[in-house]
Amino acid sequence: MRLLHWYHDIMNLYGDYANVSALKRMLEKSGESVTVDRLSPGDSVRVEDYDFIFIGSGTERNQRVVLEDFKKHAEAFTKFVESGKPVLMTGNSFEMLGKTITDAQGNSFDGLGMFGFTVTEQNKTRQTSDVIYECDFLTRPLVGFVNKCSSLGGVTDNLFRVRLGLSDCDGSGSEGVRKNNLFGTHLTGPVLIKNPHFLAYIAEKLLGRAPATDYLTYENAGYEVTLSELEKRAAEEKQ
Amino acid sequence: MRVFLTILICRLLRFAGGLVGKGSSMPGKVALRLCPDILSRVKLPPYIIAVTGSNGKTSTVEMIAHILLQNGKRVAWNREGSNQIEGVTTLVLGSATLGGRVKSDILLIESDERFARYTFKYIKPTHYVITNLYRDQLTRNGHPEWVYDALADSIYDGTQLILNADDPLVSRFGQGREDVVWFGADRFSSDTDTLCSAYDDGAYCPCCKAPMTYTSHHYNHIGHYACTACGYRRHDTDYTITAVDLEKGEMTVDGKYKIALALKSLYNIYNIMAAYTVASIAGISGEKIAADMNNYVLKNGRVITFSLGSRRGTLLASKHENSISYDQSIRVACAHKDGCDVLIIVDAVSRKYFTSDVSWLYDIDFEMLGCENVRQIVLAGKYVNDLAVRFSYTDISPEKIKMFEDIGDAVKHLDSDRAEYIYTITCFSDKGKFLALVKED
Repeated sequence: MRLLHWYHDIMNLYGDYANVSALKRMLEKSGESVTVDRLSPGDSVRVEDYDFIFIGSGTERNQRVVLEDFKKHAEAFTKFVESGKPVLMTGNSFEMLGKTITDAQGNSFDGLGMFGFTVTEQNKTRQTSDVIYECDFLTRPLVGFVNKCSSLGGVTDNLFRVRLGLSDCDGSGSEGVRKNNLFGTHLTGPVLIKNPHFLAYIAEKLLGRAPATDYLTYENAGYEVTLSELEKRAAEEKQ
Repeated sequence: MRVFLTILICRLLRFAGGLVGKGSSMPGKVALRLCPDILSRVKLPPYIIAVTGSNGKTSTVEMIAHILLQNGKRVAWNREGSNQIEGVTTLVLGSATLGGRVKSDILLIESDERFARYTFKYIKPTHYVITNLYRDQLTRNGHPEWVYDALADSIYDGTQLILNADDPLVSRFGQGREDVVWFGADRFSSDTDTLCSAYDDGAYCPCCKAPMTYTSHHYNHIGHYACTACGYRRHDTDYTITAVDLEKGEMTVDGKYKIALALKSLYNIYNIMAAYTVASIAGISGEKIAADMNNYVLKNGRVITFSLGSRRGTLLASKHENSISYDQSIRVACAHKDGCDVLIIVDAVSRKYFTSDVSWLYDIDFEMLGCENVRQIVLAGKYVNDLAVRFSYTDISPEKIKMFEDIGDAVKHLDSDRAEYIYTITCFSDKGKFLALVKED
């Protein structure tokens, strides 16, 4: 299987790269041989050659640089998503899939337009929080961290319900986008390591069968500790 | 009258706070409420030196103060490390006469990266040191470029910048400015041609975003860089570390002044160099500074030696959520030729605010601990599972690693007849839990 870690050296904040390491390991434990290509802006790429694409989070400036390159591959990428192959985009990378991104100075940049949402950035307050997200396709909630300076408007294909922490815009109670097997979320960092059940879900999409999960002892234990800490926090916030 | 009263109340509160061991920001907070523009109403000394950056602020400020005091200067400085505007207000008013005149030659301020723009509106530094910009507390700070923008707003006309030339993002503050003072390091014997880090924050030019190349890396993305497109490159230095012998524990400044190192880390060397540069500008001779820095042991509790039964060790206080801080501590352990065990504790990610985020573990170059000098790795704390998973993504043999959720159990395990030196690497938020179980020197 071929995994593409796209823009690996520029959209790489917070240890995002580990998502690809985690998926590679699960596929290998499930008996597949796996190669990972790590590409940069300007590299030539045949999107259709891959089975999975990951793009991580970056600074606002880096996202602008990548957006210009990414748009050159819009057609191939859209086909990839329509074919049902899985894609994970964390942090501000999935913002490139919307209609426009408007920066703090008011400059507007066109996105891919795969979704109808618009993105508005500000440069005064960094918005960060630990989060608990829920969705129908996973039996357990997701835990993680969001770190952004943007607000999304007009999101229709929401991925998660928010139980703790930041939404895609103030008080919307929902976060992220999904189309077929493309998952876009402001969750940052090693999302698939922190949430082994989400990793297994994506691996199953790739394999067409249940992946190996028996090796995840510490991953599962770590998830339970974090979830229990965040549940306590959520209960405190309710009071 | 209002100035008089505000200063009086601030000083009384500071005195009372000192008696009960309370922090140093509260008196300043009250003073700012009583008189919001109090900082612009006091008469400040001719030299106002500010230090900011991700790492090494507290150590650098302590060393600057030490040198200046050794050379007969009267210095007011925030030794408590309370570096937001309230803490700085406490410092300024605490060192002022009731008439509003600060009674020292030099005001020395450690300033938080995000709050400098507010503090310096009222207290404009004459000299402003920016040490480095790293991934640091991303849960609060966002990312280095976000902090860069916040710091850019804190630089006012009439302030002379003192910049680390080896940090590409910090150096950008010097673009288009004439009177910048640059410090940095020539090539070290420990330099590498390729990057040693879990990530590369020097991959792209901070100005034009074209790829950058390095002729040498001192550590992580700190080194000699040049943009492949726009001409941006490392600036020549005015004050320079010309040689470092980490094994011997010695650095050389400007080719002539030798300083013996109490802490053998490159990090410490940069802090010393920043302090050297400031002291030189303040008119102290290189010879004097080198003598004052020789074998200087920091008093800020970041490096603590201890014994545990028959074993000896050093706690290297590092910052959770700050991978370069960890990388530096790991390098110190890896350089221990007689062999050492390393204890890593992640129990509370932060002492100041709630978070359970462990993403930053993936930015730390734990792979280095696979070296021969490190014999055993002990992981401990509430987040020990996350540590174990992180280590499973290194090539380090699982046999070398022990795990304990309970810090006490980890310490019991280490209390053995093994001969190896112990390095404990953890954060301020967790170090007390460990120190309570060993004997501090």
